[in-house]
Amino acid sequence: MDWNTMLSYNWGAMMPEFIILGTAMILSILDLFWPKHFNRRKLAWLALTGIILAFLSLISLFSFETVSILSDTFRLDSFAKAFKLILLFGAGLVILLAESYEPQEGLQEHRGEFYYLFLTALLGAMIMTSSGDMITLFVGLELLSLSSYILVGIRKHNRKSNEASMKYVINGGISTAITLFGMSYLYGVTGSVNLGEMSRTMAAMTDGQLQYIMGLAFFMVFVGLSFKIAAAPFHMWAPDVYEGAPTPVVAFLSVISKTAGFVIILRIFLSLFLTAPGDTFGALDFLEKNNIYIAFVAGLTIIIGNVIALRQQNLKRLFAFSSIAHAGYLLVAVATMGGGYFLMDTVWFYLLAYLLMNIGVFAVIQLLSSQSGSEDISILAGLGGRSPYLAIAFTVFILSLAGIPGTTGFIGKLNIFLGTFITEPGHYVLAGIMIAGTIVSYVYYFGLLVQVFFRPIHSDKVIKIRSGLSTVIIICLVGTILFGIVPNLALDFLHNQFGDFTDFISSE
Amino acid sequence: MMENAWLIPIFPLVTFLVLLLSGRRWREQGAYIGILLTLASFILSLLVLIERFKEPTYKVTIDWLSIGGTQLTAGFEINQLNALMLVIVSLVSLLVQIYSKGYMYGEERFSIFYAYLGFFTFAMLGLVMAPNLLQLYFFWELVGVGSFLLIGFYFYKQEAKKAAKKAFIMTRIGDVGLLIGVILLFWETGSFEYGEIFQAVQAGEISVGRLTLIAVLIFIGAVGKSGQFPLHTWLPDAMEGPTPVSALIHAATMVAAGVYLVATMFPLFLASVTAMHVVAVTGGFTAIFAASIALVQKDVKRVLAYSTISQLGFMMLALGTAGYVAGVFHLMTHAFFKALLFLAAGSVIHAIHTQNIEKMGGLWKRLNWTGPLFLIGTLAISGFPLLSGFFSKDEILMSAWEHGDYLLFTLAVITSFLTAFYMFRLFFMIFAGESRSSVNQVKESPSIMLLPMFVLALLAVISGYIQTPWFGTFLGDWLVEGNEKLLGASHNEGPVWIMFMAVFVSLAGILLAYMMYAKKKIPRDWLFKENSKLYKVIDNKYFIDEIYFFTVGYAIKGFSLFLSYIEKFIVGGLISTVTSSIEGLGKIGSKLQTGQVQQYGMIAFLGLAVLLVIFALTGGYLR
Repeated sequence: MDWNTMLSYNWGAMMPEFIILGTAMILSILDLFWPKHFNRRKLAWLALTGIILAFLSLISLFSFETVSILSDTFRLDSFAKAFKLILLFGAGLVILLAESYEPQEGLQEHRGEFYYLFLTALLGAMIMTSSGDMITLFVGLELLSLSSYILVGIRKHNRKSNEASMKYVINGGISTAITLFGMSYLYGVTGSVNLGEMSRTMAAMTDGQLQYIMGLAFFMVFVGLSFKIAAAPFHMWAPDVYEGAPTPVVAFLSVISKTAGFVIILRIFLSLFLTAPGDTFGALDFLEKNNIYIAFVAGLTIIIGNVIALRQQNLKRLFAFSSIAHAGYLLVAVATMGGGYFLMDTVWFYLLAYLLMNIGVFAVIQLLSSQSGSEDISILAGLGGRSPYLAIAFTVFILSLAGIPGTTGFIGKLNIFLGTFITEPGHYVLAGIMIAGTIVSYVYYFGLLVQVFFRPIHSDKVIKIRSGLSTVIIICLVGTILFGIVPNLALDFLHNQFGDFTDFISSE
Repeated sequence: MMENAWLIPIFPLVTFLVLLLSGRRWREQGAYIGILLTLASFILSLLVLIERFKEPTYKVTIDWLSIGGTQLTAGFEINQLNALMLVIVSLVSLLVQIYSKGYMYGEERFSIFYAYLGFFTFAMLGLVMAPNLLQLYFFWELVGVGSFLLIGFYFYKQEAKKAAKKAFIMTRIGDVGLLIGVILLFWETGSFEYGEIFQAVQAGEISVGRLTLIAVLIFIGAVGKSGQFPLHTWLPDAMEGPTPVSALIHAATMVAAGVYLVATMFPLFLASVTAMHVVAVTGGFTAIFAASIALVQKDVKRVLAYSTISQLGFMMLALGTAGYVAGVFHLMTHAFFKALLFLAAGSVIHAIHTQNIEKMGGLWKRLNWTGPLFLIGTLAISGFPLLSGFFSKDEILMSAWEHGDYLLFTLAVITSFLTAFYMFRLFFMIFAGESRSSVNQVKESPSIMLLPMFVLALLAVISGYIQTPWFGTFLGDWLVEGNEKLLGASHNEGPVWIMFMAVFVSLAGILLAYMMYAKKKIPRDWLFKENSKLYKVIDNKYFIDEIYFFTVGYAIKGFSLFLSYIEKFIVGGLISTVTSSIEGLGKIGSKLQTGQVQQYGMIAFLGLAVLLVIFALTGGYLR
C-alpha cells in the first residue's frame, strides 16, 4: 500500500473514531505527567468534550454517502451511523455518572485511568459497528473486552472488584475462544475475512456438507457472542461482575457493551447468514431455517433473567438479572427478524429505550449506595418521603423497565411483541413467554416501588446530588417520557435519516 | 388562531400541575392562578370560535404510533361543534372558579380544589378537541377521574365517598359499552378517525345490524355519562360534592359529554333507524321519568339534579328524532341556565346553611340579588316566552313533531308542564311565604359570587336569540354548514300551534305552582296525599336504587360468592402452584449461581454442546 492510496482514502468517515482516540491519548498523557495532587475528576469534562465532539462530527457525517475504506475493512453505512449514535449518547451519560461517582473506597488514585480506558472501550464498540471484515470486527470486540476487564477491576484494593474482574476475564476468554473458533470455520468455508466477499460465497453455497459446517460455525459464533449480551445459559458471569464493578462501569456494561454485542450479532448474522441458503435447494435462507435456536435462547434468557431476579436482595445483582431479561426481549426481535421488516427499527428503538431507563436507574442507585455504603434493596426505603422528585424519576424508570404504557419501555416492548405475530408462522410461544416474563418482572420491579413509597425512611441524611448526576437523571427522565408519548419522534428520525438500511450489505 | 388552539386545554393543565406541586404555600391566592389561566383558555376559545365563523374546519394530526400498516394519530380538530363546546366549557369553568373563590373560602384544601377543577377542565377541553375516537376515549376516562375526585372532595363524609364511588362505577358501566363500540368500529373500518368512519358508514361498508349494535354500544357510553335511564342513579347522589362542582360537572360539562358524543357520532346514528329510535325513546322516557321524581324531592340540589337528568333526556330526544341542531342548541342554553341555577342554589345554601327546601321560605326579601337571579334561571328552564330555554325547547318539540313521533312528542309536552311546575315549586318554596328557617342572620353572598351569576343570567336570557323562528337561524345554519346531508336541516319547521301550546303548558305549570305553593289556594295534597303509595314510590325515586340493590346487587353478590370459591380453590390452587414453581425455579437458578467460575464455564460449554447436538442429530431440520 503506497502513500497515495493512503491519502486517497476518505478519512473523514472515521472522524468520530479519531476524535475519541485523540481524546483518550491526551487523557493518558495528562494523567501520566500531571502532579499527583491534581484532582483527576476534572478529566471527566475533557472526556465528555471529546464524546460530544465525536457526536457532533457523527451528525455532520449523516449526509455522507456510504463509504468503505481501508480495503473494505471500515464501512460507514446507515447501520453504523444509527448505532454509533446510541453508543455515543450512552457514553456521554455514563461519563457524567462517573464524574459524580464517590465510592467509599478505591478509584481515587485510578480515576484518570478510568476515563481513558472508558474511551478505548467506547472506541472498540464504535469500530465494531463500522467493521467490514472479521478482523476489524474482532479487534474492536477485543478492544472493548480488554478495556472492560480493567474497568471492572479498577478499584484495585477492593476484594469484590478484583474477584469480578478475574471472573470477567476468564468468562470473556471462554467467549472469545468460542467466537474465534466459529470465525475460523467461517474463514475455512469461504476463504475470506471480508464480510461482503464471504456473504457472496456463502450465498452460493448449496453443498449440504458445507452447510453443515456453516451451521457449526453459526452456533459457535452465536454462543460466543451470547456471552457479550449475557444471554442464558451464558449469562452467569453477569451478576457476579455487576456486583463487584463500580456503578458507572455497571451502567457501561449493561448498556453500551450490550449494544455493542447486539451490533456485532446483527452485523454477522445479517451479512452472512441472511443470504446463505438454509437447505440444498436454496428455498429457505439460513436464518429463517435456524431461528428456532435463537428463539430458544431468547425464551430461556427471559425466563431465567426474570425468575432469578425475584430472589435478589442486592440492587446491582437484581439489575444484572433484569438486564439479562431485557437481552432476552431483544433476542426475540432478532429471532423474529422484527417481524421480517422492522428489525433495525425495533432493536434500535429498544436499545435507546433501555439506555434511557437503565442509566436513569443506575444513576439513582449510584447516588443512594454511595451515600449509605450499601447496595441492599433497603436503601430505597422511604425515598418517596426523603426526596419526592428523585422518587418520581425512579418510579418512571421502573415503570418503563416494566413496560407500562406511557413510557418508552412500553413502546419498545410493543414493537418486539407485535413482531412475533407478523411473521409467518407467528412465534406465539415466544410471545407467551415474553408476556409471562413481563408479568413476573412486575413482582420485583413493583417490589422496589413498595420500598420507595411504603417503607419507613431508612436514613434522614439529606440527599445531595451533584449537578452531573442530576443532568443524567433529567435527560433520562425526559427521554423516557417523551419517547413513550411520541415514539414517532425517534422512529421518524430514524426513517428520515437512514431509510430502510438498504446499504447494509456491501453494495458492490 | 386555530392553529394555537391546542393551548386551550394546556392552561388548565398548568393550573393543575402548579397547584398540586406548590399550592399549599399560596392557599387562597391559588385561586387567582386558576382563574387567570382559565381566563386565558376562555379568551383563546372565544378567538377560535370567532375565527371558525369565517374559516373552514381546522384539523392537525401527527402520527403518534405506527403499528404495521396502521397509523394511529393524535392531534386536535376545530369544527363548529368543537368550537362552540370549547367556549361553553371554558366559560362555565371560568365562572365557576370565580364563584368558588367566595364559596369555598376558608376551606382547608382550597388549592387542591382548584387543582382538581383545573384537571377536570383540562380533560373536558381535551375531550371536546379530540380528532379521533381513541383520543376521545382517553379524555373520556380522564373526565371520569376528574369528576370522581371532585364529587369525593369532602372525602371525610361517608356519603360523599359513596357518591364518588357510585358515580365512577355507574359511568364505568357505560364506558365499557363505549369501549366495545369503539373497538368494533376500528375492527370494521380500520380507523379511529371520524372522517374515515363516516365515509365507511356512508359507503355502506358496515352491515346495518352491526351498525346498530355499534351505535347502541356507543350510546350506552353516553347513557352512563349523561345520566340517562337506567344509569341515572349516580347523578343525584353526586350532589354530595361542593355546589360549584355540581354547576360545572352536572350542568354544563361532563353530563353534556354524552350528548356531545352522540352529536359527534351523529352520522353513524343516522345510518341506523333502530339506533336513532333507541336514543329518542331513552331520552323521552328519561325526561318524563326524572321530571316526575323532581316533583317531590325536598333537597334543592336534588331537584336540580333530577331536572338536569330530565333536560339531558330532552337533548337525547332531540338527537334521536334527527334534530341535531335542536339538541346542540338546548345543550348550550341548558349549560347556561342550569349552571346559573346551581350557583344560585349554592348562594342560597351559603346563606342559610341547609339544603332542605322545607326549612327555607321567605328569602325573596332577604336575598335581594340571588332571588331575581334564581327567578331568571327558573323562567328560562320553564320555557317562559322570550328566554333562552323557550327557543331551544321549542326546537326540540318541533323536531319530535316533524319526525312523526307523536307519543314522544306528547311525553315531551307533559314533561315541559312538569318542568315548569316543579321548578316553580322549588322557587316558591325557597323564596315565597314565611321564613321556616332557624337562621336569623341571612346575608347576601359576596359580589365575587354574584358576578358569575349575573353573566350566566344574561346569557340565560339572550343566548336563545341566535336561533329563533323570527330573527333567523344563525346557529343552525352555521352548525350544519357544509354537512347538510349528514346533519340534517338547520331548523325544524312545524305548525305554529306547537309554540303556543308550549307557552300554554309552561304558564299552566307556573300557575299551578303559584296557586299551590305561593297563594296556597290549592292544598298541597290535592292530587295525592303525602303518605299515599304513589307518593312514596316517587319519593323513593321509583325504588330504582333498591331494585338495583336487590336484583343486581344480590345477583352480583351471589355470583361473586360463587366466584370467590372458584378463586379460592381452583384459581388460588393454580396460582400457588405457579408461584411456588416459579419460586422453586428461582431457587434452583440462584443455587446454580455459586460464584464458581469453573462451574459457569462448564454450564456454558454444556449449553453449546446441547445446541450443537440438537443441530447435529436433527441434521439441521428442526424448525
